[in-house]
Amino acid sequence: MYTDRIRNFCIIAHIDHGKSTLADRLLESTQTVSSREFREQVLDDMDLERERGITIKASAVTMNYKKDGKDYVLNLIDTPGHVDFSYEVFRSLAACEGALLLVDAAQGVEAQTVANAYLAIEKHLEIIPVLNKIDLQQARPVEVIEEMEKTLGMLPRDVIKVSAKSGLGVDELFKAIIERLPPPKGNSQGALRGLIFDSVYDDYRGVVVYLRVFDGSLRAGDRIYMMKTQMSFEVTEVGVFKPKMSPVEALHTGEVGYLVASIKSIHDVEIGDTVTHDKNRAGVALPGYQRPLPMVYCGLYPTADTDLVPLRMALEKLSLNDSSFTFEPERSPALGFGFRCGFLGLLHMEVVQERLERESNVNIIQTAPSVTYEIVNKKGEVNKIDNPDHVPMEGDIEEFREPIVAMKIVLPSEYIGTVMQICEERRGKYISTEYLSEKRVILNYELPLAEVIFDFYDKLKSATRGYGTMDYTFLGYRPADLVRLDILVGGKKVDALSSIVHKDQAYYKGKKLAKKLREEIPRHLFEVVIQAAIGSRIIAREAIRPMRKDVTAKCYGGDITRKRKLLEKQKEGKKRLKVVGSVEIPQEAFLSVLTPHE
Amino acid sequence: MTSLYIHIPYCVKKCSYCDFNSGPHPRALMDRYIQALGKELEGTRAISEGFQTVYIGGGTPTALDEAQLERLLTLVKDVTGTNPPREYTIEANPGTLNPEKVRLMKVGGIDRVSLGVQSFSEGGLEILGRIHSPLEAEEGFYVLRDAGFSNINLDLIFGWPGQTLEEWGQDLQKVLRLGPEHVSAYCLTIERGTPISMDVRTGRLTGSDEDLQHKMFKKAHASFTRAGYKHYEISNFALKGRECLHNINYWNNGPYLGLGAGAFSYVDGRRYSNVKDVQKYIEKITSGRRAVSFTETLPSRRRAAETLVMALRMHSGIAEGEFHRRTGYSLTELYGPSIEKFQHLGLLSLTGGRLRLTQKGLFLANQVMVEFV
Repeated sequence: MYTDRIRNFCIIAHIDHGKSTLADRLLESTQTVSSREFREQVLDDMDLERERGITIKASAVTMNYKKDGKDYVLNLIDTPGHVDFSYEVFRSLAACEGALLLVDAAQGVEAQTVANAYLAIEKHLEIIPVLNKIDLQQARPVEVIEEMEKTLGMLPRDVIKVSAKSGLGVDELFKAIIERLPPPKGNSQGALRGLIFDSVYDDYRGVVVYLRVFDGSLRAGDRIYMMKTQMSFEVTEVGVFKPKMSPVEALHTGEVGYLVASIKSIHDVEIGDTVTHDKNRAGVALPGYQRPLPMVYCGLYPTADTDLVPLRMALEKLSLNDSSFTFEPERSPALGFGFRCGFLGLLHMEVVQERLERESNVNIIQTAPSVTYEIVNKKGEVNKIDNPDHVPMEGDIEEFREPIVAMKIVLPSEYIGTVMQICEERRGKYISTEYLSEKRVILNYELPLAEVIFDFYDKLKSATRGYGTMDYTFLGYRPADLVRLDILVGGKKVDALSSIVHKDQAYYKGKKLAKKLREEIPRHLFEVVIQAAIGSRIIAREAIRPMRKDVTAKCYGGDITRKRKLLEKQKEGKKRLKVVGSVEIPQEAFLSVLTPHE
Repeated sequence: MTSLYIHIPYCVKKCSYCDFNSGPHPRALMDRYIQALGKELEGTRAISEGFQTVYIGGGTPTALDEAQLERLLTLVKDVTGTNPPREYTIEANPGTLNPEKVRLMKVGGIDRVSLGVQSFSEGGLEILGRIHSPLEAEEGFYVLRDAGFSNINLDLIFGWPGQTLEEWGQDLQKVLRLGPEHVSAYCLTIERGTPISMDVRTGRLTGSDEDLQHKMFKKAHASFTRAGYKHYEISNFALKGRECLHNINYWNNGPYLGLGAGAFSYVDGRRYSNVKDVQKYIEKITSGRRAVSFTETLPSRRRAAETLVMALRMHSGIAEGEFHRRTGYSLTELYGPSIEKFQHLGLLSLTGGRLRLTQKGLFLANQVMVEFV
């Protein structure tokens, strides 16, 4: 009887279409958060997310709503809105019966709208199409509803028009949530089955596990068993998010909340695992999902060797709350000891890096990101390579394979030509064009991931005046004609500057990279020679002329303090350089590997 | 013995490259300023042994009118009268000199004049935002000579946007023909916030490149050395016995007292400066307070570093024994490996216990000094 009054749903949207604002309005309307304690966009609880306007980690909140004299419990499970985190969208969907598909009435259907809607359809979720920002002057509701109908099969009469900012249409939306979304099903008398859809580390309580109860119920004091990891714990607290953690007596069938069980490490919890009772175990686990593998790798090195331990501590701390970020020690002949770090994508990498800089005082050298390649050796063994320096000699390679993604680009039709050219330059394979409307299309391409992670998004944005959006999914590995491009500085190979490039582009890229490095590496007291090489063949050479003059012209009584401070600043600046052999290389140089196209 | 510096934060018009504490001010304000200076000067009477050198700089001290200049020089003489300094310098801008002011300077006891010529090129003076012409600069020099000044410095700037090596060569020849006792040749530093830095940033002017400046530097060194001048500090050349004592005191990290708005003092290891703002300076001094707005006392280790860095500016460098005597530290213990490295790179020489920059090292002084701070 109670289960009928529960609605579990998420909001799926393209970035910036107003997901967090809508969530805020729902929280406010249900008085889950009083206006006094209301902060804009409550669900994005990390500063970084707030600053970047994106939601990185899924989050859940329980709201109470009264309709026709009946009390309802609405559980909103938040989803991230960026391509790197589509897996998190997926796991949020698994905990819901319904989804609000939010589309900006001015922007229209975008790449992530399509991608996320498909995910929801695949999971058989009931979808409520919602048109947001209808009070904007640039809103074009008629066209956008048509786009939603054409691409996503939404019926125009089902679309609810709102302004999340002003609250317009929100009542109607609540009505739809209750009337159209199905209540959870499940066997409240059966053995406990709860789906873990997220977890966070809390300094005081240890790991907080987010779960959705599908069958049975869970109480504090229960001994639980994780069906996949086969670990068992004693539950010390169960509760719901309002949005602060509020303990409850029990979590029943259909409910969404959390459990605390003195779990020490986030790595002891597997997202997608099924929680059951240790004594009365469920027979079959819930359909879980695969943990995503990192797609992008880079090396992180402290500029000073003495900072290795602080860097490791900072990485450990970060990984406490981000199970999709991986790191392991590695040693670079040029850079010394550091870490090879894996990320879901480029945005994920940037987010982690920014957090590292913010939360630790370590000067870091970041090497250019690389994807994971597969190399088949002469014996037919397949090895995964995520560091260009680990590529074996050409003669030992039977086949070199690279990851390929299926790319979906939504753009105004007038830019098709330019965008196709960008895809072709990046070795893309054209698949199809779908028309959203007369003016907007979806381009489908297959592209090497390595060509996507660098500057593809920026290029797409500038080629379409900001209107193009993209989303991609991993397809698999395919053989390609690849070689390793090495860089020598002062006659010494700098492994951290090695990259894997397509043979056809190797000469061009080698020349370009050597030129770029000539600009990035400052003048030294001696001549610095930069060479690009494939195997033992030198394909490009540049020289940085020695520094001739660096002297303070005037230094009298009133200048002494200031000039000394300038020298001290100059000295600080030097600390940010990595010394390779006798050459000081700035951070920017390590990223110059990332300039493949112009 | 302490040196005395007096700052005149006043000029007719700010030069395009200048980031000093200076600017045009109303005449009445300068009257009050000189009055305040007099009051600050009074306080120095306690220094019974007098000053070894006195230096009136700016700004443009000669931009004061005759009455103000006379008043200022009288105030100084009141304090130093019984104990005249070994060297008494004033800075002068050719655009503000006249025979009467020069006469007052002479009567006031000044024995050294630093004339801000900067360039003999019409275009150069315009880019630098100077108020005088090349001809006025030359005239200024002769007026000083005629008044009997036998110790004159000419200030030059090279490496300004658009200047060619040939133009610089012409400046050097002109200077050598005039034959001053001392020349300061400064490579232009484009300081942030100055009009010239805006022009360079916006592309209106193109900054001179490092290699050209290096060539100009070498040319200056060659020309003056050949003509008998000693390149005794990074930017300074002098005939024998005409090195600027006042400045040498700075480079020896010796004590000095600075009076006036924004002036720095260095006494007993403590460095401090007055407020920069002219009004505030006057208010504070007039109301009987001190005008100090910044103070720093460096720990001995950093003071030692400063001593070394300053000393290396001079061709004579510093002797190991002298360094130890002045700082209490051993030069090689503090900096052994760095010194060795720079010797190896040909930037430093350590001979007969004396550490100095080599000719090559002189142009790369910051690269060396940065390891010592």
